[in-house]
Amino acid sequence: MSIVLLIVAAAVPFMVMPFYVRVGQLILLSAALGLAWTLLGGFAGYWSFGHAAFIGLGAFSAGLFETELMKGQPLLGFGLGLIVGGVVCALAAAVVAWPILRLRGIYFAVAMLGVSQVLAELTNNVDVFKGSMGLVLPRIAAFGLRPEALFYDVLLIATVVVGCIAFAIKNGRIGAGLMAIREDEDTARMLGVPTERYKIMMFILSAALTGALGVIYAHSLGYITTSSVYRTEFSLNMIVYNLLGGMGTLVGPFLGSAVMVILTQVVLGRLLSIHMFITGALLVLLVLAAPKGIIGLFKGGLFGGRAKG
Amino acid sequence: MLAIQTIADGLVLGGLYALSAVGFSLIFGVMGVVNLSHGALVMIGAYLAWFVWHSLGVDPLLAIPVVMGVLAVFGYVYQRVLIQLAVDRSSHVASMLVTFGVALMLRNTLVLVFSPDLRSITPSYSGHPLVLGSIVLDPVRLAALAASLVLLGALAMILQRSKMGRVIRATAQQELAARLCGVNAHHIYGLTFAVSAAFAGAAGAILGIVLPFSPPDEGLWTLNAFVVVVLGGVGSPAGALVGGLVLGVMSTGTSQLIGAAFPNAMMFAVLVLMLLVRPSGLLGNAFAGSR
Repeated sequence: MSIVLLIVAAAVPFMVMPFYVRVGQLILLSAALGLAWTLLGGFAGYWSFGHAAFIGLGAFSAGLFETELMKGQPLLGFGLGLIVGGVVCALAAAVVAWPILRLRGIYFAVAMLGVSQVLAELTNNVDVFKGSMGLVLPRIAAFGLRPEALFYDVLLIATVVVGCIAFAIKNGRIGAGLMAIREDEDTARMLGVPTERYKIMMFILSAALTGALGVIYAHSLGYITTSSVYRTEFSLNMIVYNLLGGMGTLVGPFLGSAVMVILTQVVLGRLLSIHMFITGALLVLLVLAAPKGIIGLFKGGLFGGRAKG
Repeated sequence: MLAIQTIADGLVLGGLYALSAVGFSLIFGVMGVVNLSHGALVMIGAYLAWFVWHSLGVDPLLAIPVVMGVLAVFGYVYQRVLIQLAVDRSSHVASMLVTFGVALMLRNTLVLVFSPDLRSITPSYSGHPLVLGSIVLDPVRLAALAASLVLLGALAMILQRSKMGRVIRATAQQELAARLCGVNAHHIYGLTFAVSAAFAGAAGAILGIVLPFSPPDEGLWTLNAFVVVVLGGVGSPAGALVGGLVLGVMSTGTSQLIGAAFPNAMMFAVLVLMLLVRPSGLLGNAFAGSR
């Protein structure tokens, strides 16, 4: 059943107009980013407001690696670039993990925002990183596919991979530990959950996956600058997708990103002058009307149960 | 001498940072709500002052009471209608998203009403620099610093001496106990928000004579407020003043010593370090121990 569904999904770009392939790309990317964020944010309750840091770091480390060391081998470069982006993000996360994960709640959120701003400013202002000039990534053409179809399928594979990882974690021993941290970290620690280790592991994994997705996103753009990858909207959107779909669930990011992308890109695409206003209004309405997300709506009804915490 | 000039410039900027952050700090301290639309309120203040100056020729500093009044009403309604509902129905972190949504709406509205162009206000007394020995001081900036300090002092007095200030502080310390003493906590939260929005508006009016501004700047002013609060400490005008002045001097110092492109990077690096070393800020939390 699910295999049939996947094959159908993979064939979509050959049946619809390029614009809708772009929309599909965006939904997949958003869902995968939301899933990568939720490993720490949704499962353990550590809401990062700066995950765009890893999109940017992944994109630029892979971009520099591919343009400097991998000239003339775009496909191999892309494959290795994914690894480079992921590993660089994992290392960066490992460096800041221990100190930054001692902070909780809003302080952690803000510290992550700070980390992403520092990285963005450094990328933009240190010439070696070419952040302000921009970086042209090698064009990838494979299997005779059009670029938008190719990246759609690459993103589809990436989303499935991230989804499987998230599923395995959520339903494993570590997932139970993370939920315990989310509900009450001190109690969890007292009961013998290795809270520090779990948090650091998830932070690193989440960073690495976000970094690899950043590499794919960068390639789908073709040309990146600091402002196109280190975008605060990315950080906030990752939260919004989860919140809209259902925080801490696996289906949530898919539902949230699909609704949000379709609303903002397709429905509101023509209303550019009030686009931001409506996005903001939607956000407000969403938190007030459905504090547990779309999944919560099915369970509790509109304006139904109160959600605390 | 260059050092003294840098510090003088930094202090002027710092006064503005402090005033723009004090309301943010108050809401954070009293309600635990991070108001991401604070910068948008600052921008509304700037545009109201610009509008009054542009259409009636009234000096922005004289327009401050009007701006503060308008924003106080707006702040009260905003809190009672939206923020309280968000806090009750969801969580404090989710209420942050509500304020972010409102920030987007306000920014878009400002763009539609006032256009996305850069605006600036030039009062009559601009362009006559005051020379003290080897330091050059712009009277506009001096007036901005003086106005900021007076307003911060006034807020400190209100919080310390007036009945309203006492009730606000009591509610911040323990909501339940305050309610048992007959305090209408929701009304007090509304009032706190009104005070916060009013001071954001005042900061906007002063900002207008010092720097050019446009609607997208709101994000920057929210971030500045954040950094000021983390540096100085939550909930008190004194904390905002310390944080603001440190940030101002640091910002001019960085662009002087390291490079004009680096104040922001420095600002956030210090923010992260400060959170790790002393998350309650230099002066600590005015109301409760923070983790």
